[in-house]
Amino acid sequence: MSDVHALAGAYALHALSDIERAAFARHLAECESCAHEVAELRETAARLADGTWSVPPPRLRDNVLAEIRQTRQLPPAASERVARGAAPAAGGRRRRPLVVAAAAAVVLAAGAGTVSYVAQEQRVRDERATVAALRAESARVEAVLAASDARLHSAPVTGGGQITMVLSESLDGGVVMLSGARPPGAGRAYQLWAVSSGAPDSRGVLPSGEGGATRLIDRIRGMDTLGVTIEPSGGSAAPTEPLVASVPVES
Amino acid sequence: MGAQMIRERLAFMSDGANEGPRRADHLSAAPAPPADATAEANELLRAVARGDEAAFTRLYDLVAPRVYGLARRVLRDPAQAEEVAQEVLVEVWRTAGRFDPARGSATAWVFTIAHRRAVDRVRSEQAGAERARRLAATQGETPYDEVVDQATTRLEQQQVRRCVQTLTGLQREAITLAYYGGYTYREVAELLGTALPTIKTRMRDGLIRLRDCLGVEVAA
Ligand SMILES: [Zn+2]
Repeated sequence: MSDVHALAGAYALHALSDIERAAFARHLAECESCAHEVAELRETAARLADGTWSVPPPRLRDNVLAEIRQTRQLPPAASERVARGAAPAAGGRRRRPLVVAAAAAVVLAAGAGTVSYVAQEQRVRDERATVAALRAESARVEAVLAASDARLHSAPVTGGGQITMVLSESLDGGVVMLSGARPPGAGRAYQLWAVSSGAPDSRGVLPSGEGGATRLIDRIRGMDTLGVTIEPSGGSAAPTEPLVASVPVES
Repeated sequence: MGAQMIRERLAFMSDGANEGPRRADHLSAAPAPPADATAEANELLRAVARGDEAAFTRLYDLVAPRVYGLARRVLRDPAQAEEVAQEVLVEVWRTAGRFDPARGSATAWVFTIAHRRAVDRVRSEQAGAERARRLAATQGETPYDEVVDQATTRLEQQQVRRCVQTLTGLQREAITLAYYGGYTYREVAELLGTALPTIKTRMRDGLIRLRDCLGVEVAA
């Protein structure tokens, strides 16, 4: 990433992949000259919207005005730690709008060389689920993502979708994201399992019927593989179905 | 998709989409947005951050046609554009307190959110081939409302268009595909059959040239 500064233009045009965008946003927090350049290039790119005027249907105005009356505003910056589209990280975060979904890979994309290639090839899509999880457990998620030993692991899910996880050995915890998987069916849910030499041990059940979600897991030390099965809502004590995904934790 | 096809489409994207028939010219006396529109939007957004609904309504009127128009340009689908525009405008209300005037203008802040949302939507909902098809299908089609509205923004638009014309061909293609087409720079490199580092550089130096031509400045 020696020429990381050169990404300022692509960043201002939203032309980076989620992972690269997250990595560059991280760079912005440390590089004042890029931060200033991005501010100006964004301002410039926004002028390209001038040429796109199109009168929206009148109902849009009514709908928007009705919706804002039901919508609570966020307090001014800094008082709430996790805003949609802002990285849950300390310091300088106002100038670091991030894809929250990609935050999990920030550490890797910006840090460890071998993993960053893998990370760039992935698109983490289920932003909404990630945001929900981050709101609920932002501090711990943040800690895992920011851990210096955080590592990204990923595998496809049978039938479509991707399971991505960021593990921190030192914190003995991880963030697991399931994205784009087929819905497990009514009354069923994806369940996560830590697989090591002994019997699989549950690490949590995703929301019923959801094909995408993010979950904070603990007790990851010694885990060889993260397995995923589809179980009745609420989960099972032991897997009752074959694995639909298995993510090896190679060290 | 060959580079030649892309170039043909670009001819449309860079100046065809909203230029429309010249029959709008009789409206050219329509006033351009006031010169202090930027300052006005900044004021309005600050008021919105304090929960001022009346200010939001005025801000809506100021930015909604571009928010919707931009979403429509990127998505090439009026229904999706309307959904995205609604999300963006509600987001403006919700996060107005996060606007930092030291980092740019209120309008740029709004259009940055709008562009981001439109691009995210187009990437998640329309596969590359589908996007290319839509791009081709809407070629030359300019809805009536765009023709009329364009008259009210002629001056600003002309400045942008004039500056876009000062770019090199590759700068213009790269920026246009990314901004209006929602393509990543990797996709742009592939579409144009050009090396990745070159595209990355052209996006940056092209935007820098645009910035200087438009006289855009953000206090350091
Ligand atoms: Zn830099």
